[in-house]
Amino acid sequence: MTGIPIEYYVLLSAGVFCIGLFGILTRENALMFLMSVELMLNAANINLVAFALLHGTLTGQVFALFVMALAAAEVAIGIGIILVLNRNFGSVNVTDAATMRW
Amino acid sequence: MVVDLPEWTALAPALFVGIFALILFALDSIRREPVSHRLLAGTAAFGSLLAFLSAVWYLVVGVGDPGERGVMHLFQDTLVVDQMGLFFAAVITAVTTMVIIASYDYLGEHAHRGEFYSLVLLASTGMVMMAFANSLVTIFVALELASLPSYALVAFLKTNRGSVEGGLKYFLIGALSSAILIYGISLIYGVTGSLQLEAVAAGLTGEHTSLLALGVLMLIGGIAFKTASVPFHFWAPDAYVGAPAPVAAFLSSASKAAGFVIAFRIFIEAFPLETMLAMGIDWVLVFQVLAVVTMTLGNVAAATQSEVKRMLAYSSIGHAGYALIALAALTNAGPYNELVLGAGMMHLLVYGFMNTGAFLFIAMVEYWDIGRCFDDLNGLAKQAPIASIAMTILLFNLAGLPIGGGFLTKYFLFAGAVSAGFWWLAAIGALNSALSLYYYSRVVKAMWIEEPTESTQIESYPLGLYAMLILAAVVTVVALPAFGPIAETAMSAAEILLG
Repeated sequence: MTGIPIEYYVLLSAGVFCIGLFGILTRENALMFLMSVELMLNAANINLVAFALLHGTLTGQVFALFVMALAAAEVAIGIGIILVLNRNFGSVNVTDAATMRW
Repeated sequence: MVVDLPEWTALAPALFVGIFALILFALDSIRREPVSHRLLAGTAAFGSLLAFLSAVWYLVVGVGDPGERGVMHLFQDTLVVDQMGLFFAAVITAVTTMVIIASYDYLGEHAHRGEFYSLVLLASTGMVMMAFANSLVTIFVALELASLPSYALVAFLKTNRGSVEGGLKYFLIGALSSAILIYGISLIYGVTGSLQLEAVAAGLTGEHTSLLALGVLMLIGGIAFKTASVPFHFWAPDAYVGAPAPVAAFLSSASKAAGFVIAFRIFIEAFPLETMLAMGIDWVLVFQVLAVVTMTLGNVAAATQSEVKRMLAYSSIGHAGYALIALAALTNAGPYNELVLGAGMMHLLVYGFMNTGAFLFIAMVEYWDIGRCFDDLNGLAKQAPIASIAMTILLFNLAGLPIGGGFLTKYFLFAGAVSAGFWWLAAIGALNSALSLYYYSRVVKAMWIEEPTESTQIESYPLGLYAMLILAAVVTVVALPAFGPIAETAMSAAEILLG
């Protein structure tokens, strides 16, 4: 592999992953939560594609495609649940849905 | 003389549930007038029953046993049909069938029955695929196929706040843990260069051990979510309480079993203890900590609950802790690995029946609408003696009293841990079992000894729910005299996996 060394890719993906994790831990809006999860999934995708290049196999790239499709499916379900959340609780705030204790 | 079938038919258990899920979709959407509930439930139950029978049939004729018809490796070894896979496929499809038949009464006149049954079957397809998955790709895809319909099922009662809240929490934690899982997989791929489990094991060269360790930890996080163990357990009580009770039964039994089967396969096949210990990554230690914390937390929290359903939810976390002993008591090339692993599989089988039965009893209580707390069950035995007897048997089995299979599997688990030298794991497990007897007896006491506070009259006795509750109780009891074949299958499945 020429050009950019693999460490940079891993650092980038670790950064994106941490931003996503930070978003999940701090944001209360369920939609922001979904976006943060997307960031974390994409961090994994960066890794998969970069490592595929490093190892010279296509496995990682193909898997990254799978992950994208699954992320889309997950968002579809998530939006549906957030929709009924909004109908029942009048907001998309995850902390509002707290009729049961954690 | 057995006719030789093409290789892909080895996946029949997964194919049956998958195809019938699609048939249900078609049936429900193509017909203009509403399809009768009986037809929908019947089709769904027929599909999962076929899947169950095919799994049992394969086990009987010796598919997945190298000595008989051989382990099937499909699609470049990304799927493998071995005895462990078939064993868990049988457990999962049996639970699915029971849940579907019980749901017939529970759903009643609900508007979206067709979707309900197909979602259950789709989730079941994902779980059966998890039992066969032999590559991190197929494991992840199957896990998502099991998870996504489950989120929708928990939030199925769209106008019920508890159901929506449970669904939201389940979804949020599920999405987070699957992101962590996939990141872990990407790190493992980076270190080993492959995703197929045996190839991962072959790619462990001893380089980049810190990255690998991080990947393995993240993988354990994803598994902990699916099995509802610490640290990703906190969705479980809310999701089970909020969800319709048959769905709670389905998730706490089948989904947990599916989580454990991927854990067994990943850690035995991809991360052999010998190589990993040489690299300084002691994953057994992680599982030991998780097992102790999970069973203690689950049981202590269960003892303090006032709602029966929530108590059962925490008790199912406790049982995840017991099953984790199967991984926590493994030793490097130890002579007792088979016993420990096999005991874990047996426990998940018997647990599948007793826990499903207990949650179906809750489904019946919800059907009668007599309240959720322990006090609300007061004097129930006078009005519904058969259901109360069945529930009593199931609860005592969950506690591990010697009246059914629950006792033997727990005994094997603890005995395996002691033989392997982890007497303290067994001791903590036994202490927790003693504690669990306390809170299970509270339900029994309420049903049989307490006088009813107000006279609630039970009007109807739902046939499907009753039949499945009794079936669950009978199977758990029969598992005691018929323990031989179960133990034999589980042990040989463990032997094949350990290879």
